[in-house]
Amino acid sequence: MSISLKRAWAIFVKDYKEFSRNYAVSFSVIVPILFAFLFRSAGPSLPGAIGFLLNTSFVLLTCLVQACLIAEEKERNTLRSLMMTPATTMDVLIGKSTLVFVVSAAALTIAIYILGYKPTSMWAFVAAIILSIILYTAAGTICGLFSKTLLEASLSIMPVALVFTGAPWGVLLADNFPLFKVLEYAPSVQLVHLLTLHNAGFTTGDLLKPLLIMLAWAALLTIASVMLYQRRLKDE
Amino acid sequence: MDVIQVEHVRKRFRDKDALDDVSFSIPKGEIFGFLGPSGSGKTTLIKILTAQLSPTSGQASVFNQPAEMMHQSSQKMRFGILTDNSGLYERLTIEENLELYRKLYDLPKSSVDRVLQFVNLSGERKKKVNLLSKGMRQRVLLACAVIHEPELLFLDEPTSALDPVNSAHIYKGLRYLNENGTTIFLTTHNMTEAELMCNRVAILYQGQVQTIGSPKELKKQHRDNVVCVDLINGETYELPIGEGTADQIADWMKQGIIDRLETKEPSLGDIFIKMTGSELL
Repeated sequence: MSISLKRAWAIFVKDYKEFSRNYAVSFSVIVPILFAFLFRSAGPSLPGAIGFLLNTSFVLLTCLVQACLIAEEKERNTLRSLMMTPATTMDVLIGKSTLVFVVSAAALTIAIYILGYKPTSMWAFVAAIILSIILYTAAGTICGLFSKTLLEASLSIMPVALVFTGAPWGVLLADNFPLFKVLEYAPSVQLVHLLTLHNAGFTTGDLLKPLLIMLAWAALLTIASVMLYQRRLKDE
Repeated sequence: MDVIQVEHVRKRFRDKDALDDVSFSIPKGEIFGFLGPSGSGKTTLIKILTAQLSPTSGQASVFNQPAEMMHQSSQKMRFGILTDNSGLYERLTIEENLELYRKLYDLPKSSVDRVLQFVNLSGERKKKVNLLSKGMRQRVLLACAVIHEPELLFLDEPTSALDPVNSAHIYKGLRYLNENGTTIFLTTHNMTEAELMCNRVAILYQGQVQTIGSPKELKKQHRDNVVCVDLINGETYELPIGEGTADQIADWMKQGIIDRLETKEPSLGDIFIKMTGSELL
């Protein structure tokens, strides 16, 4: 499948202009920053604060904004027009996802700085954030493609919020409800594992396992979003 | 050379045939009108020709390649499309919308100025799309569809809901494009538009092509073969065309008593109603 960076860039620029003028959606950017200020007053070592901040922001910023961008294009028929131009599936998805990636990365960097969080392993932390943004962007694309309107898109992220953001709490119930053990493999739970590693006593394997599980999620959801987009190209 | 060839195309949706054994071809440089009421299958055919749908059976080809190939970027460079499913970015200006298309088609910067002149919107380029009237929006959509000067242009009811002034703008632009080599596939349920614009038309009804030909040919085929004569004394006659009638008219002419003489020629709308028994929407 061919990729034209020129076309992806054109879509990125267009999305940036639309996003910056759409206050209802661009308001999401301040969600992680608000959380950071809220938790900072309780101290950076507040247990679970960083995990909650990140996992909530991935849904309320990354996933929601991507779903809204896609759903609005569908609602206004611009996605169909875009599909009729020489832009390929990858051009469109890369162009649209890059905006969400950049906005999420910038907002989370500011939020983490405000919170004063110091990761145990910087490279693993950065890798986890990158993989999380990719997988939540893909989840947002899927939600957007299933939605017909902006309102539907806002509601469609609820299952993602429930399963992914709720998973770290669900896991706590695994002793009473063995079925919940499956939530151990949720990317949000793996991210919390990474964030709670202490300076002493962890191995490379302790870092790699969560990253590999998150990588698998990112790959799976990205492939699913590309396949779904291509099915939407057809109007059967 | 034929730009579009459609052979025995059938498209079935659940229990209904949207298209049933449709065949025709369109040579390069023609404005071809695909006429029919709403729901007759016109948009379905455009979707098949632009690879948005696959036919249930039969073959459709564009530029001598199967229509399924039209999803490729290299083929999309060759055609433009304007349908009622086309959209604009509301928060962007006219110019910003066209800039996007210019970059997607990898065109020089001058193409935006050129196409703005073409749709007569140069003075409005900084206006946001959400402030535009329906007619101006339609002209911007047309500009997006033709910015790359396509070889083939699909237009699905381009002037529906437009006032006569805006429609005239669109017609003028389309003629200009056609004179510069663009083949135009136009679907409409507006018979006047078809008569004004099209070299040939096909009438589609319930998924089937009922007739095909130039508006002139169709009118000739379907005329009543009678001559209407109004005499100055107020008498009116409808006479069958033939030798006897010619003699009678010659006689009246010698007497100088003919007030009005005309052949009864049907409009495209009359032909449609005659062939299908349906009123156009």
